[in-house]
Amino acid sequence: VLSSVAGGLSYFLPAAQIALDSTGQVIRVPTPSPTDLLTSPSPSAAPSPSPVTGAFTVLLLGSDDDSKFFSEHVLTQSMILVRVVPATKQVTMLSIPRDLYVHLSPGGYGKIDGAYSYGGPGAAIATVQQDFGVHIDDYIWIGLLGLVKLIDAIGGIDVVTSQPVLDDYYPADIYGGFAYDYERVAVLGGPQHLDGIHAMQYVRSRHGDLQSDFGRSQRQQQVLQAIRQKANQVSPEDLPALSKALSGELKTSIGLSRVAALLPLAASLNNPDSIRQVVLLPPYTHGGGPGGSVTANWSLILPLVHSIFPG
Amino acid sequence: MISRLVLGACLVVVMLVAGPATYLYLGSKTSRVTTPPTKPTAATPRAQAFSLPGTIYIAQDGALYSLAAGRFHQLTPEQGWMQPSLAPDGNLLAVKRDRFYSDVYVLSPFGNVIRRVTNNVKPTRFSDISANHWSFYPRLSADGKTLWMAYDRPKYGYDVVLSIWAMPASGTISQGKLWTDAADYAGGDVQPIPVRGGIIYTHYDYGPDLKLVGRLWFTSRAYSAGRPLTDPSEDCRNPSVSPDGTQVAMICTHEKQLSYLTIASWNGSSLGPRTTLISDQMVAQPVWAPDGSGIAYLAPSVGSGPFQLWFLPRAAYAPVPTPAPTPTPGGPHNGPLPSPTPQPAVVVKPIQVTTNNGFDATSPIAWRG
Repeated sequence: VLSSVAGGLSYFLPAAQIALDSTGQVIRVPTPSPTDLLTSPSPSAAPSPSPVTGAFTVLLLGSDDDSKFFSEHVLTQSMILVRVVPATKQVTMLSIPRDLYVHLSPGGYGKIDGAYSYGGPGAAIATVQQDFGVHIDDYIWIGLLGLVKLIDAIGGIDVVTSQPVLDDYYPADIYGGFAYDYERVAVLGGPQHLDGIHAMQYVRSRHGDLQSDFGRSQRQQQVLQAIRQKANQVSPEDLPALSKALSGELKTSIGLSRVAALLPLAASLNNPDSIRQVVLLPPYTHGGGPGGSVTANWSLILPLVHSIFPG
Repeated sequence: MISRLVLGACLVVVMLVAGPATYLYLGSKTSRVTTPPTKPTAATPRAQAFSLPGTIYIAQDGALYSLAAGRFHQLTPEQGWMQPSLAPDGNLLAVKRDRFYSDVYVLSPFGNVIRRVTNNVKPTRFSDISANHWSFYPRLSADGKTLWMAYDRPKYGYDVVLSIWAMPASGTISQGKLWTDAADYAGGDVQPIPVRGGIIYTHYDYGPDLKLVGRLWFTSRAYSAGRPLTDPSEDCRNPSVSPDGTQVAMICTHEKQLSYLTIASWNGSSLGPRTTLISDQMVAQPVWAPDGSGIAYLAPSVGSGPFQLWFLPRAAYAPVPTPAPTPTPGGPHNGPLPSPTPQPAVVVKPIQVTTNNGFDATSPIAWRG
C-alpha cells in the first residue's frame, strides 16, 4: 500500500511542486499616496468586497514575456477583468485597453500596461482598482509562451475565428532570435481547431484589424472561452503534463485549495448566453492620448463598470 | 525458515512493483484530449463503417486524402496541402501553403502535381517578406477556363486583406482581374463559388455593432458592389451550392462561439428562408453529396476536439412524401385523389464517419460523384 501511495505521490509530486510555486502568490498592493489620489484624473472609488455571495473578480494578465523586456518588468498586453457569479453562473469579461492612459498606482501617469512592469501584479491590481473602482480578489498572469504551451497541453482548442487574420508584420519573437523580427501569418476565418501557436497568432495580431487592440481583445475573449470549454475534458491525471507546460509561465494569487474548488464551477459554466463580453470601444475610449495612448471617457466607463462589477 | 524468506522476497517484489505500477497506471489514465489525431489511412475503426457515394477529397495536417468506397488513400505528403476542389476534367485544384506564402496547383486525381498555377513567393531581389502573397480557396468555372480564388492583393501597409480574383486557368496572375472590393482591415473576401450569372462568396466586414462578421455576398460583375445575401447578425460563411443549384448550405454563428449548419433555397439572385439543420455542434465546411443524398461536414466528435467527418442524410432536411394512394378500379372513391402529404417528422441524426482523425476545418471538402 505504501509503495502504491509512493508511486502516486511521485506521479503528482512534480505537478504539486509547480502548482505550489505558481499558485497562492502574495499580492503586494502599493498604497497610493494621498497626493496621488487627489491628482488622479479618474474617480478613486474605494474598493469594497463583493456583496454577492460567492461572487469574485479576477484580473487576467497576459504579457509579452519575450527578450525585449527583463523578466520581471514586462508589459501586460492583455488585461481582462473577469467577474464570476457562481449562484447564477454568470460570467462577465471586461477587456481593458492596454494603451489606456491612466494614473498608475506606483505614481505618475502612463499606459495601463506599464503598471505591471513598475510594480508587478500588485501594481497592476492597484491601478485597476483605483481607476475603475472595482474590487479585485485575485489575479492570474500568463506569459505568451505559457499560453501556447497551455493550449497545446490541452490538445488545442476549437474556435470560430471571426475573420481571416492576416498580418505581414507579426512579431517573430516567441522562440528566440531577433526580438524585433517579424513574420507573415494568416489565420483563416471560421470554425476550426487551433494549436497553441496559431491560437497565439489569432489573439496577438492587431495590424489587420481596424479596431487594433480592441479587436484583439474580442479575439482574446473568444480564446479564453474555448480554453475553458476544452479544460472541461481534462482529467486529474493530466495535471503533471499541464503543470510541466506551465512551469514558470503562470502565476496566480489563487491558492491551490481554491483552484481545486473552482474547477467544478468552471466546468459548469457551459451556457454561452450567460457569458457577457465587454470591450471598451468608442465612445468609452478614444485615441489621440499622449504617446499614442487611448483616452478614457470615465463618465461613461465608470457607470458601465459599476453596473457589471457591483462593489 | 525458507518459507519466511520466500514470503519476504515476494513482499519486496510486490513493493517494488506496486510503486511503478501505480505510476504507470495513473499515466495511462490521462484524458484523450492530447492524443494526436491519427492519419486517416491508419485510423481505427476505419471509415468503411459507413461508405459515402463517390469520392471525397479532404485535408489533414498538410496532406490531401481521398475517401472512396469507405477507404482513405493519401494523395500527397504532409507538405502544406489544403483546400482541394474539383476541376471539370477530372483533376484537382489545391493550395500548397508555405510559411510565408501559398500557391494554387493542379493535381491529378491521384495527387501528382501537374502544374503550379500561381507563383506567390517573393522575388529574391526583395528582402521584405510582405512581397509574398497568399492564394486560398481556388475554384474553377464550369468550363474549366477561369480560376477563381482569394488573393491578398491589393494591400496597403498593414492593411492585408483577401480579395476575389479571376484569372485564366492556364494563364498567370498578371492576366487576372480583381473582382471584389474587400473591406479594409476586415479579413477580406473569400470562398468564391462560381454560379450561373456570377459568384457567391463570403464577405467579411464590420457589422452595426462594430463586430467583425461574415456575410454571404453575390456579385455578377468585376469590381461591382454586388449585394449581400445574408444579414450581419447571422454571421454566415462557408457557402456550398447544391448539385442542382437550387439550395445553398452555409455556416452561421449569429456572432457566437457556435456554428449552425443552415440551408436556404437559391433562386439565382437571393436566398430563401433559412432552415437550421445542426445547432449543437461546431460545424464547418458543408458540402452537398453529388447525388443529392445528403450533406457532409466537419465537426468535433464531442464538445471540443479535432474535427471529424460527418454526414447528414437528405431525410433530415427533405421530408419524404408518402406515395399517392393507388386508385382501385371499381372502388368506392371516384373523385379526385388526395394529394400526398409529407410523412410525420422523423428525427434523422447525423452520422459520424470518422472518429479519430483531425481534418483541416479551414479546407473546403471536395466531393466528386
